[in-house]
Amino acid sequence: MLKTLKDIVRKSSIHVCIVNCGGCNGCDVELVACLSPRYDLEQYGIYVHNNPREADVILVTGAVTEQWRENLRRIYAKAPEPKVVVAVGNCPQSGDVFAQEGGRVLAPVSDFIPVDAAIPGCPPRPSEILDAILAVAPGAIAAKGRIQDK
Amino acid sequence: MILPIGPIHPGLKEPLRLKLKTQGEKVIKAEIDYGYVHRGIEKIMEGKTWQKCIYLAERICGICSYEHTQTFSETIEKISGVQAPPRAQYLRVITNELDRIQSHLLANSTFYKTLDHETLFMQVLDLREYIMDSIELLTGNRVNMGWNVIGGVRMDAEDKHLDAILSKISYVEDNLDRHVALFEDAPILGLRTKGVGVMTREEAIKGHSVGPIARASGLKHDYRQEHHTYKDYFDFKPVWRKEGDNYARTMNRYNEITSSINLLKDAIENIPKGDIRRPVEVKSGYGEWRGEAPRGEVTYMIETNGNLIKRISIRTPSIMNIDSCAKYMLKDVATVADAVTTYASADPCIACAERVAITDISNNKFITKDFFEISKEYNNKFTTNDFFEISKDYNKKVNLSNKFNYNNDLEVN
Repeated sequence: MLKTLKDIVRKSSIHVCIVNCGGCNGCDVELVACLSPRYDLEQYGIYVHNNPREADVILVTGAVTEQWRENLRRIYAKAPEPKVVVAVGNCPQSGDVFAQEGGRVLAPVSDFIPVDAAIPGCPPRPSEILDAILAVAPGAIAAKGRIQDK
Repeated sequence: MILPIGPIHPGLKEPLRLKLKTQGEKVIKAEIDYGYVHRGIEKIMEGKTWQKCIYLAERICGICSYEHTQTFSETIEKISGVQAPPRAQYLRVITNELDRIQSHLLANSTFYKTLDHETLFMQVLDLREYIMDSIELLTGNRVNMGWNVIGGVRMDAEDKHLDAILSKISYVEDNLDRHVALFEDAPILGLRTKGVGVMTREEAIKGHSVGPIARASGLKHDYRQEHHTYKDYFDFKPVWRKEGDNYARTMNRYNEITSSINLLKDAIENIPKGDIRRPVEVKSGYGEWRGEAPRGEVTYMIETNGNLIKRISIRTPSIMNIDSCAKYMLKDVATVADAVTTYASADPCIACAERVAITDISNNKFITKDFFEISKEYNNKFTTNDFFEISKDYNKKVNLSNKFNYNNDLEVN
């Protein structure tokens, strides 16, 4: 009974934290656009907190820079279980154009923290970001929660 | 007490650490730590063709991505001694002004978010979507447009697209007045914004601030005045205010949106027919060019070797604006909440600023310094040549001599 109740609650109340670990800002701008009345993240029960201690979903943007090497792991550790990491944009997956000779990036993000889903695009459209969060987050949070409860 | 804010904070879009020195609730001093987004773009660009570099230049900053490509193209056009055809210049103006409007609307909506005024935040952000639609209609993408090439623009715009943009612009113009009035005359918003985070004209000059932040403090300077396209085809006058507080900065951005809308209407009505791109043979040489990004002046200094970029140096507005924000605006703020709004009103763009790493070659240590420390030290101790000795050591491949003259840049006339 409690577990099903938890599942239902987790599906409809997702708290999001955006972590920009060295991107060009483009993805963050598109994430802000998701808040606008046209896309309206909050109608799906997603709330952007930007506080890792309250987050269910961590949205990672940007290729990892030197300063984020340790900080990223620390932020991941701060988020309470169950948590889902979604990589937004090309940078967290491959480093995009910055992963070349001379670039000081440490992509991919999956070397540092486990990534559950990735949205390619430079930057992805707000509707794609919304779609991905809704497709992955409720199920993954509920599933991870069930493993933890056992 | 030192109160750290960031790098991840609800009020900040980008990673940055604000260290506020407080006496009770009052903020008496602020320090800013950056370096979270340093990716080494200038170094990657070395030895690559312009086709690759323009792609990188676009990804310096996501909000003002357009202006970077335009300034990059115009620098290389200057080196090669050509100018884009008139129709391309008009199309560049249209995209540039659309980009400026969306950036200013985003900055103002972020400011409202930090003020905790949800209604205005949502409404202004909604208005921005119409501009984003126009940008997508014209260029095919919302953020990184890939619109500029050396010698012109990538695609032509059809009349129906321009008409659609015009109707969207008119919609924004009609609705903007309502939002401006909501902010301009609101007594409570006035209490939160008027007289908070004041930067005087003298301080703006001392801090080398540029863009809407400097113009709100009474520095009547907009680089579009000196740009050949705006000089030749448009009647442009900079928008400026005197107060220098949060209210003035926000209102200045609104007034600039109105001026940009007028420029856009003018451009769409008078756009000439003709080519959109001119074939360019890139010459070897050195060139400097400036452009007015939404946040202020962007300077590109490029040395080319045939088709390849030998060395590039980019100076973006945010680096000065962030530091003058920390030093002057946040020196006497009543509460911590006001400090965050003051920071947001300065419209910082961290991704732009993060291309600086200062190396002390005497003991091979990386040290980070703020803009004031650097300018003070280099004015007292070193000459311009020394500065380049240091940067030469960092990039051993290239020999630059003293073509880049930073000291000229640091002085405000």
